[in-house]
Amino acid sequence: MSRSPNGGLIDRSKSLSFTFDGTSYSGFEGDTLASALVANDVRLIGRSFKYHRPRGILTAGSEEPNALITLRTGARAEPNTRATVTPLFDGLEATSQNRWPSLRFDAMAVNQLFAPIFVAGFYYKTFMWPAAFWEKLYEPLIRRAAGLGRLSMLPDPDHYDREHGFCDLLVIGGGPAGLAAALTAGRAGLRVILADEDVRPGGRLLAEHLEIDDTPGAAWAELVVAELTALPNVNVLGRTTVFGVYDGCEYAAVERLTDHLAHTYPAQPRQRLWKIVAKRAVLATGAIERPLVFGGNDRPGVMTTSAVSTYVNRFAALPGRRAVVFTASDSGWQTALDLLAAGVSVAAVIDPRETAPIAAEALLKAGADILLGARLCDAIGAPVRKVEVHLADGRRRRIACDLVAMGGGWNPAIGLGSNMGARPIWSDAAQSFLLDQTPPGFVAAGAAAGRLALHEALNDGVTQGAAAAEALGMPALKPRFAASDEPASGRPLWHVLGRGKAFVDFQHDVTDKDIALSAREGFVSIEHFKRYTTLGMATDQGKTSQLNGHALLAAATGKSIAEAGTILSRAPYQPVAIGLLAGPHRETHFRPERHTASHHWAIAQGATFVDAGQWKRAQWFARPGEKDWMETVNREVTMTRNGVGICDVSTLGKIDVHGPDAAALLDRLYINTFSTLSIGKARYGVMLRDDGIVMDDGTTTRLAEDSFFVTTTTVNAARVMQHIDYARHVLWPGLDVQATSVTEQWSTYAVAGPHSRALLAQALPGIDLSNEALPFMAAAKFRWNDAPARIFRLSFSGELAFEVSVPATHGDTLIRHLFEIGRTFDAVPYGTEALGVMRIEKGHLAGNELNGMTTAGDLGMARMMSKKKDFIGRVMAARPGLADLKRPSLVGLIPVDQSKQIRAGAHLLPPDAPRTTAYDQGYVTSACWSPTVGHAIALGLLVDGPNRHGERITVHDPVRGADVQAEVCNPVFVDPEGVRVRA
Amino acid sequence: MPDPFSAEPRNRLGIASVMARKGIAAAEICAALGARMPDRPLATFIGGRTVVGTGPGTWLVTEEDAAPDFAETLQQVLAGLASVSDQSGGYAVQRLSGPAARTVLQRGAAIDFHPTAFSTGSAATTVIAHIGIIMWQVDEQPTYDVAMFRSYSQSFRHWLNQTVAAL
Repeated sequence: MSRSPNGGLIDRSKSLSFTFDGTSYSGFEGDTLASALVANDVRLIGRSFKYHRPRGILTAGSEEPNALITLRTGARAEPNTRATVTPLFDGLEATSQNRWPSLRFDAMAVNQLFAPIFVAGFYYKTFMWPAAFWEKLYEPLIRRAAGLGRLSMLPDPDHYDREHGFCDLLVIGGGPAGLAAALTAGRAGLRVILADEDVRPGGRLLAEHLEIDDTPGAAWAELVVAELTALPNVNVLGRTTVFGVYDGCEYAAVERLTDHLAHTYPAQPRQRLWKIVAKRAVLATGAIERPLVFGGNDRPGVMTTSAVSTYVNRFAALPGRRAVVFTASDSGWQTALDLLAAGVSVAAVIDPRETAPIAAEALLKAGADILLGARLCDAIGAPVRKVEVHLADGRRRRIACDLVAMGGGWNPAIGLGSNMGARPIWSDAAQSFLLDQTPPGFVAAGAAAGRLALHEALNDGVTQGAAAAEALGMPALKPRFAASDEPASGRPLWHVLGRGKAFVDFQHDVTDKDIALSAREGFVSIEHFKRYTTLGMATDQGKTSQLNGHALLAAATGKSIAEAGTILSRAPYQPVAIGLLAGPHRETHFRPERHTASHHWAIAQGATFVDAGQWKRAQWFARPGEKDWMETVNREVTMTRNGVGICDVSTLGKIDVHGPDAAALLDRLYINTFSTLSIGKARYGVMLRDDGIVMDDGTTTRLAEDSFFVTTTTVNAARVMQHIDYARHVLWPGLDVQATSVTEQWSTYAVAGPHSRALLAQALPGIDLSNEALPFMAAAKFRWNDAPARIFRLSFSGELAFEVSVPATHGDTLIRHLFEIGRTFDAVPYGTEALGVMRIEKGHLAGNELNGMTTAGDLGMARMMSKKKDFIGRVMAARPGLADLKRPSLVGLIPVDQSKQIRAGAHLLPPDAPRTTAYDQGYVTSACWSPTVGHAIALGLLVDGPNRHGERITVHDPVRGADVQAEVCNPVFVDPEGVRVRA
Repeated sequence: MPDPFSAEPRNRLGIASVMARKGIAAAEICAALGARMPDRPLATFIGGRTVVGTGPGTWLVTEEDAAPDFAETLQQVLAGLASVSDQSGGYAVQRLSGPAARTVLQRGAAIDFHPTAFSTGSAATTVIAHIGIIMWQVDEQPTYDVAMFRSYSQSFRHWLNQTVAAL
């Protein structure tokens, strides 16, 4: 064990046991998986992506590119989890990734021997030819080698919650600047949300020996959080990562609710997706330390200086016994002191700069060599055993050690700030990229704004918190915090020439040589370079590698870093589970379902349902013993045509169009006229789109002088409602007409068949259903069970038929009532399939014909188009291409050999013509087997169709079967004279 | 102590959508109905009647224990002033109440339910779990009424159950 006997923010009274690759270890409450592994001397954590190099832990934060493990097992296994941000819990199981057969001996590590060919652009260059090899060989090969962890391939057993947050100020990050901003704004009374990704806010205060107002940093953070939590206007969200910035001052965040728990109860959500709308936001995400680029910088045992300080100070976990610190920034010197304080021997502090930023007596006294103007060029051994140093005087020296702390300087963590598309710009003062233009109301503070020293960061937080308050007209008192100004400067060192591989992007195995190659091959634009080398494209989005890579590219192309520029960061800033974004909308709940009032009744009748938009409609009602759906549907059709059938047609769109100008509006919407319709009568209507193509059809009933009841097809209900609203709001705002969707108000049942009148006479006593009182296309209001009800003499089936409507609250009662009475008449429930068969038998149109490509003329309704009035689509419908009489138009089709089937979608060609597109004359829109006429029938669109009845045509179906010869005929197969509907 | 959360369907509710005729001011409808017709997303309450502003010149009117011909009567009262459509069957209304109701709704709708932003009489037409809703706050308990098209009731219930279980 490498755990200091005291110190750190861990609870030594709470021991937690866990396993890594099956070996048991123990840690403490307060540990991360990474700190517990450090304390247990586990240095080898995983294998790298491309070269399968052994890797350890590089950082102590969410930027970690190396220490990726699979957390948990079974369905809850989560690959590519960063050990550095995984809170330790009792019973945690972690497994290393990307190694076979074992972590210590990995067969794919042989890739390293072929490193010269695995350079950037390897795939582009290698897998080019022959093309046929792609599908069979290259792609499977690449796919097998690609990726790190493996998915469990089991359904995600977890729930994901969602919440919407609203605030005056969103503070992103709970380090010194964030806490100061939240406290200032919170005290001023602003609604504040403070989101911090760690298990406890504090940021660097938890990891370093800092004091504020003579209070140790961690204790100060605890006090501030306690005050914030007590404020009713402040919401402190711990374990919460803001991962995206969007238009309208919206932010996305993930709150991890149970990821730190060993056990959860079944309904407990694992994570919560927050959509936060914030008037202003302070980006207080701190800064990420840059690694240094030297040979073997990826070896286990090489860490950033901030990680070393964090493990030593926060977790009392010692990552080595004998350390070498190689730093180009002042903070690394503090790490050396932290190591000494923890009892780790420091062999040397190497700084490429010529002077030490601090008095080095303590280090010298402890035996450390201070090597100024020197560079560490190679780390040797895996885990690291020694380093080679290039001294100021040109000599080389080897130093034995088991830990290298490297500090290249600090990159402000500004990723979120460029989510909206503004490119960060180079700052010579900060020696890093900083936000220039920010999203509205969004400002960086503290280290994220390049203000690294503690007192600067605190002041900046206060300033931004107060600015947010003042912007809202709320005066804020600015608290003053006493904090020391620790040395926080540095001079970037972008590259050290060594013998070993020098990694820039650890997670994607991009080396200094790859960057040079990219420049040589002409990929010199920062965006081309990114894609060519894949630098920054791993799950860590290059948080540790981006700037080093860009600086090396700049050097290779002879530009300044400012000229070479940097890339944009996209959401999500940190990886998020896809389940989080889906929330409860998965599997059968992917989208809401709509159920009609007869739904439960239909389930009890054994209905099979079909989706019609969001609606669930009964497709057919199979009876025991029926061998397939065809048998069921044939029975439903036959029983309806010979007796009586009942179908729920409630899903059809229904719109009340009211007002003195209602008739005038309908005349402009439909190709035919409604102003002449008398009260109590219904009329079939067709409306066109602006471009002259048919939009929808349906019947409209006039219930009063100023009151029409419009129906639409099920799928177009919302679209027609929109169309009507557009017409009355935008096209003709002068018309006094109101429109409301009443689709959901009415449960409507079609009662069809020769016995329908008799059935309804018993079911709805007191209503005169005679031809005289209620002729075909008439409607009447009545009351049923006290409720307002309506009856329409309409028929889609071609039989004597009625549609009965009652409020949906009465729909379940009515369907049961109709079938109770219907027993005497052997009434049959029929579904959408039988409905479809009967409408094809009658040549009625449906979605297959109203397919967004047909004109009224194509569908045999040219004469319906009124010449006495204007209507939407009239002018465009007269375009030569649409008005051409030779366009494919509606016909009926019957197979010459009546045992043959015709299938919808098949094409129509002259019998002797070659089966090529050039001879295509149309296609089959709807087809079925008709139990009424005893053979297959179909509707289709055929060039000059209406003039070709009696002709033979070939129905060509290359996808599903052989050609069928068919006869072109009238599209009405049953009762063409329309006698039955008027019975 | 009251239940932290309860959800009850409001049955026997008369519901109608009311749209002003062209050039008719809300005040005229108000005079005929005896209820204040809000010109913003607000709900007003008078006796068992609630009027919710759902758009310019457009309201949803609900009435407790309404007679079956509630909408027809309303239509007669407002003849020449407004168009009335019966929606008593069209909407299902859920009453959500208790101290946790605010959190439950905040997890469903992207509307600010903080008391300073949404209080008794506030109303909104919005979306919960991809389901269009009209909702209004009834009292400070708080109690909310949520109206959705009736066919969505089961899907709404599924969202509600999941959200409440996660409280």
